[in-house]
Amino acid sequence: MASAAAVTLRRVVLVSAALRLALVVFGEWQDAHLEVRYTDVDYLVFSDAAASVAAGGSPFARATYRYSPILAFLLLPNSLLHAAWGKLLFSAADLLVGLFIDTILELRGIPEKMRMWSVIAWLFNPFTFTIGTRGNCEPIVCAVMLWILICLMKGRVLQAAFWYGLIVHFRIYPIIYAIPFVIVLGKGYAGPVGRPTLTMWRSKQQLQNDKVSQKEDPTSFLATVWGFLSNSISRNVILFGLLSGSMFFAWAGVFFYLYGWDFLNEALLYHLTRTDPRHNFSIYFYHIYLHHQQGFSSIQRLASFLPQLVVQLALILRFSRDLPFCMFLQTVAFVAFNKVMTAQYFVWFFCLLPLILPWSSMKLKWKGLACMVVWMGSQLHWLMWAYLLELKGRNVFVQLWVAGLMFLAANTFVMLMVMKHHKYIPLFLSPVKSGNKVATKKEE
Amino acid sequence: MAAGGGRCLLAVALAAAWISGAAAAASSSAEQAGGSHKSIKCMPCSMAYIGDAYLDDTLTGQLAQRRDLAQMSDSGELCKGLTDDVEVPMLSKLHRQLVGEGSHRRLVYSMDFGACEGAMVNFLDGYDAHLVIFEKLPDGVFADPFELQHFVEHKVFVDVAVFGDTNLELPTALSNRSSVEIHFDLRLIISTNCSLVIDMPLHARYPPLDASGYATVEFGNPDLFLRYRKKEIHSDSCLWVIKNLKAAPLDKAAWRIPCGDEAHIGFVPSITFLSALVCSLSIVLAALIF
Repeated sequence: MASAAAVTLRRVVLVSAALRLALVVFGEWQDAHLEVRYTDVDYLVFSDAAASVAAGGSPFARATYRYSPILAFLLLPNSLLHAAWGKLLFSAADLLVGLFIDTILELRGIPEKMRMWSVIAWLFNPFTFTIGTRGNCEPIVCAVMLWILICLMKGRVLQAAFWYGLIVHFRIYPIIYAIPFVIVLGKGYAGPVGRPTLTMWRSKQQLQNDKVSQKEDPTSFLATVWGFLSNSISRNVILFGLLSGSMFFAWAGVFFYLYGWDFLNEALLYHLTRTDPRHNFSIYFYHIYLHHQQGFSSIQRLASFLPQLVVQLALILRFSRDLPFCMFLQTVAFVAFNKVMTAQYFVWFFCLLPLILPWSSMKLKWKGLACMVVWMGSQLHWLMWAYLLELKGRNVFVQLWVAGLMFLAANTFVMLMVMKHHKYIPLFLSPVKSGNKVATKKEE
Repeated sequence: MAAGGGRCLLAVALAAAWISGAAAAASSSAEQAGGSHKSIKCMPCSMAYIGDAYLDDTLTGQLAQRRDLAQMSDSGELCKGLTDDVEVPMLSKLHRQLVGEGSHRRLVYSMDFGACEGAMVNFLDGYDAHLVIFEKLPDGVFADPFELQHFVEHKVFVDVAVFGDTNLELPTALSNRSSVEIHFDLRLIISTNCSLVIDMPLHARYPPLDASGYATVEFGNPDLFLRYRKKEIHSDSCLWVIKNLKAAPLDKAAWRIPCGDEAHIGFVPSITFLSALVCSLSIVLAALIF
């Protein structure tokens, strides 16, 4: 059985790899022969920046390059070997995400068949296999985030901290997971031998019989706040915080030394202060455009930040111990309530979705399909108005803005559905509880 | 006695009129000569773009990168001898139109040069020659230098440069004007009967708010030059001769771009914030209940 399952996973990965390679080749052909390019415009930015580095210059010489110089270094072979190197690298990271999903679910005792479907949900998602092959670098971020999860699940705190500091430098948004990481790394994280005990997956029948798991309610707000305060100072938390923080500042220091204020402004500060008046999925785009000539008051800035802050805190305080679930909801909310939202951000939560599917009672028919239809339908609706505005030159700003509001409503609907049908299970058992758990298992 | 004095005065008057007329004619000729001289300039080959010396600070509202204007001299100095006995091709037809819809369009130039089989071939046998289009873009329209660079990589253009504000993301109110210079190798038009069509891809910025819902951007006339130099050149004396083709005024090209309406400020921010609040509270409530 195990070898058959391994062959199946291998086949799935091989077919996925072949699909991505074919898309990369097709993309090169389309770029050369058709007016509409397959390659993402961001890939041209990365490549130009890498070429600048290869020539001994700064990646920030390339206008609109707003990433860590690490990305330009990774793409140096674009200039030295072949222009498609970066796409192959991103597609490889994409495949790695699939393998990591399998690893994470296997660590939690998910049966092979269910794991396979979760992996397929990522590898054969049309959105995900186009994003890497078009030259978008987000698969790298997803792969690192899942690797951090694996490290935490295996008790490799220092390794997790290393990669976390690096990825926050690379993309910034993962900073939203800092508090949940601190919470799970608190005093209840590891047992006497230093390794955490993972809660294993239970089938629906087992869940009905398991009285212990039925008592695993999401933590109350007050309990979580108290738990955070009293348990947050632990050796693991201190190590994680110190190392990840040091990594972040070390990378920032190195690149500030190399590239000066260009690096700070373009790679870091730009993302913190970005207000783009151009149309995007965010509900704030038209508000920003209407005020772009006069600026914003402090109250307006605070008002646009408050919903995001409230949602993030609520999700963290309620669900942080079920770490993959918390990360998924946080990411969906972060993207939905952000001042700028582009399609490439969706992959940030797509990579976490397979990790929570086994704990969801939502069936594909019909609630799962309803979520997909609502989410994709509202997106297509927005795209229709955006097409009329940008490519047909019609004044449909109000309609496009309303479509953005509807997309936020769709994101909220999906979040509510996922929350309602999710079986909350903390990722780690506290050492006291794990003792009971072991006893319970032995009794069984 | 009076009649004799009157004839004398008349003669003086006529003489004065003749002299002033001759003087006027002479100055007019000199101006014309100077004008034709002004349409021919020279610049060192080390100067890649006419725009480096051509731009003035009225274009962008701030000084563009400028070279020493003395390097671009008129025919009296550097050009001496370079323009003698040179039959330079002349533009016989020029059309320009804005093609496309929406925020991404193309400025299409259609041109014909006369005397293709004779003068043009002879001219290109002895000279490297480029057609130079210098288009000062109006406020609210920009060219992507990286997009244009791909035309150079695919050898459609010899060279391209964008001057002024090259920030692709700024709205009109926060940006400055820019201009585009395209160099096109005239050898390529021999096979097309000296006709050529040049596409310049352009993009619209977000205009300032207007109650009408649209902003109209009009293009001025481009400047067209012929840039040529002898094929056998010595690096220390390499000079481009720049001849202004004096392109005739073109039909106006106008671009209608949708824009936001200030009147919407009354309800868009409040409904936006209310929606965000309702959705966030729904999620918080669900987190409490589920």
